[in-house]
Amino acid sequence: MGNYMTMVAAQDAAALEEVQTPAQTEAPRILSGAQALMESLIAEGTEVIFGYPGGAIMPTYDALFDYTDRLDHILVRHEQGAGHAAQGYARTSGKPGVCLVTSGPGGTNLVTPIADAIIDCTPLVCIIGQVKSTLLGTDAFQETDIIGVTTPVCKWNYQITNADDVPAIIAKAFYIAKSGKPGPVVIDFTRDAQVSPMTKPYEYKKVETLASYKPRVIPKDEHLERAAQLINNAQRPYVLFGQGVLISGAEEELKAFAEKTDIPCASTLLGLSAMPIDHPNYVGWLGMHGNYGPNVLTTQADVVIAIGMRFDDRVTGDATKYIRQAKVIHIEIDPAEIDKIIKADAPVVGDAKETLKRLLPLVKQNNHAAWRNEFKKYDLIEEQKITQRELTPEGQIKMAEVVNMLSEKTNGEACVIADVGQHQMIAARYYKFKNPRSYIASGGLGTMGFAIPAAFGAKKGAPEREVVAFIGDGCFQMTIQELGTIAQSGLPVKLIILNNNYLGMVRQWQQLFFEKRYSFVELQNPDFVTIAKGFGIAGHTCSDRENLGESLNRLLQSDKPYLLEVMVEKEENVFPMVPAGAAVADIRLD
Amino acid sequence: MTTYTICVFTENTFGLLNKITVIFTRRRINIESLTVSETERQGVSRYTITIKHDKREEVEKLVRQIRKVVEVLAVFGYLDDEIVYNEIALFKVATPIGGKPIDIETINKIYKAWVVYWGLDYVVIEKAGNENEILDFFRYIKSYGILEFVKSGRVAVGKTPAGLVEYLPEEVHWEYYV
Repeated sequence: MGNYMTMVAAQDAAALEEVQTPAQTEAPRILSGAQALMESLIAEGTEVIFGYPGGAIMPTYDALFDYTDRLDHILVRHEQGAGHAAQGYARTSGKPGVCLVTSGPGGTNLVTPIADAIIDCTPLVCIIGQVKSTLLGTDAFQETDIIGVTTPVCKWNYQITNADDVPAIIAKAFYIAKSGKPGPVVIDFTRDAQVSPMTKPYEYKKVETLASYKPRVIPKDEHLERAAQLINNAQRPYVLFGQGVLISGAEEELKAFAEKTDIPCASTLLGLSAMPIDHPNYVGWLGMHGNYGPNVLTTQADVVIAIGMRFDDRVTGDATKYIRQAKVIHIEIDPAEIDKIIKADAPVVGDAKETLKRLLPLVKQNNHAAWRNEFKKYDLIEEQKITQRELTPEGQIKMAEVVNMLSEKTNGEACVIADVGQHQMIAARYYKFKNPRSYIASGGLGTMGFAIPAAFGAKKGAPEREVVAFIGDGCFQMTIQELGTIAQSGLPVKLIILNNNYLGMVRQWQQLFFEKRYSFVELQNPDFVTIAKGFGIAGHTCSDRENLGESLNRLLQSDKPYLLEVMVEKEENVFPMVPAGAAVADIRLD
Repeated sequence: MTTYTICVFTENTFGLLNKITVIFTRRRINIESLTVSETERQGVSRYTITIKHDKREEVEKLVRQIRKVVEVLAVFGYLDDEIVYNEIALFKVATPIGGKPIDIETINKIYKAWVVYWGLDYVVIEKAGNENEILDFFRYIKSYGILEFVKSGRVAVGKTPAGLVEYLPEEVHWEYYV
């Protein structure tokens, strides 16, 4: 092993001698592939790389060593952490997140975040090392066919085997990652392409269009007119919006549209915070654990305007029974989403912001107060049957209380990260979002372990914001090692474990649908606070209601990373709930 | 089950076949035949894929998913009456001394098939046509003893006066292949 590494290092040294170091050169500079990558990342405005070094990516890390004044790098503890951190960064900053990992296991460890990012439309540029091109296909040390592995789960991938290709491919990668419906791209970077000098001077040209890939941003006029006609004639129109509003930055356009037409608006899980909770047209969120009225009243709308959302099965329940009575306008940038789940009477292919901007002058000023008031009736029932019980309980602390109190203490202005499970739904239900890009969770893939790395990634993307993560005790242990990254980077993220000693959501399902046969859902947990201390992160546990307020104050007042563990009721269930496969009208309140 | 012919035009890059086939695999749609070739335009490949499906809607969704692959320039889904299509088959037929002599006239005139190679104890017959025509010939020639039979995937062109270049992005100048 030692000999092998020395031999490789010697070869690299010889190859690197041919490369002039950037500091000494006069134009034209001849860069190595790895140096060209650094320059290209800077040209794309990259501020930070989330990564983990290893054999096949070492020449790139060596190049990075000379660029640390311009490129920040956060060393994670596992490549999955790099991916989720880059997702968190992308979701708060709106810019592509960049990951840098090695070949083989480095790449395969990144597959989960890549799959998460494709389904949640998060722009990532993942640079994965690869064995040198002469060794491809030989089962070389740490060789994995990462192009083959990632093809079904990424937006685009490409193997670079020639240093000359680096600038053009990186430019293409960024363009594809962030344009249209954003997503992850994978660059498989062979070791020889990293090491060898380019045969021509480095030159960077941003990609702004591709022959084969042309997302339609500006909608067609006839589509807009058809949509406007349906909206203007509707009696009970209803807007269902999703993350497309946040991705395209259409928050103001959505508000203006809602206010002019006076249409009630409901959000999907990932659309949360695109509209402030207290906006008069905002009625709540949709889906399996969403609000009562917004779900039930989908059966009463005569025109549904879906904006930047894709009718996920967690939103529709039984899709064959979903909004059958309504005419559907589907505003969506990805033509493949049109008619995929719900047939659209008026499809509008385009960017949410550009579409709403153009739709606004075509729609009539209107008043739908009576229709909007119907939501309030359901709100009252939900308030009485669920919310009051959750927020003013007796006995053990409930998750909802914690979220609600944090919401009050942060004035609804924090960036909330949630992991996956009951606490994720409770965070979505009880936090009163004021600003956009304030709810970041793994929606489509439901990746447990998302929150810790996404939290410090999010903080990196929005350093001025308070970033608070709600994490279940099960999820916490899936990426617990990233506490080391938080400690080393010093990023002051606030972590709250809502600890019920169970895999709570699975337990809830077992209780409701599997005759309470609790099959492997109870956890014997470690002492989380001691573990955090071991990593150098302060924290404490709160098990009494009287101490909750003070505990949250301590968490929020800390200018360093902080962990608060809250012991919550063990067998709490999240309601409302649309049972899997049921129609949304069959939503259960208990 | 209806046969659909899906024509995919792509940039000619590495690994694209895999990027296209995974879209079928994920939806449990079996590929009946697949032919890939360079088109008359340089750098543009053409995939002709046939599938059987009972829901047109699902095929339309599939076509839109294929269109999402970044390197794909255009995709068309066709029913049989919307295309001119053919396959080619080769039959290696035994012709031992003293065996039943093959009837060249019938083969040529009735079946529009041609002997393309004369071996010592066998011939190779080429038959182009649609699935049924090839099957008919198969039934006819079977009694002579088929040593080997191989059939290509379908190739097809749309029954429209439009040429390929009209479907390709305008801003690129598409050179002829040769």
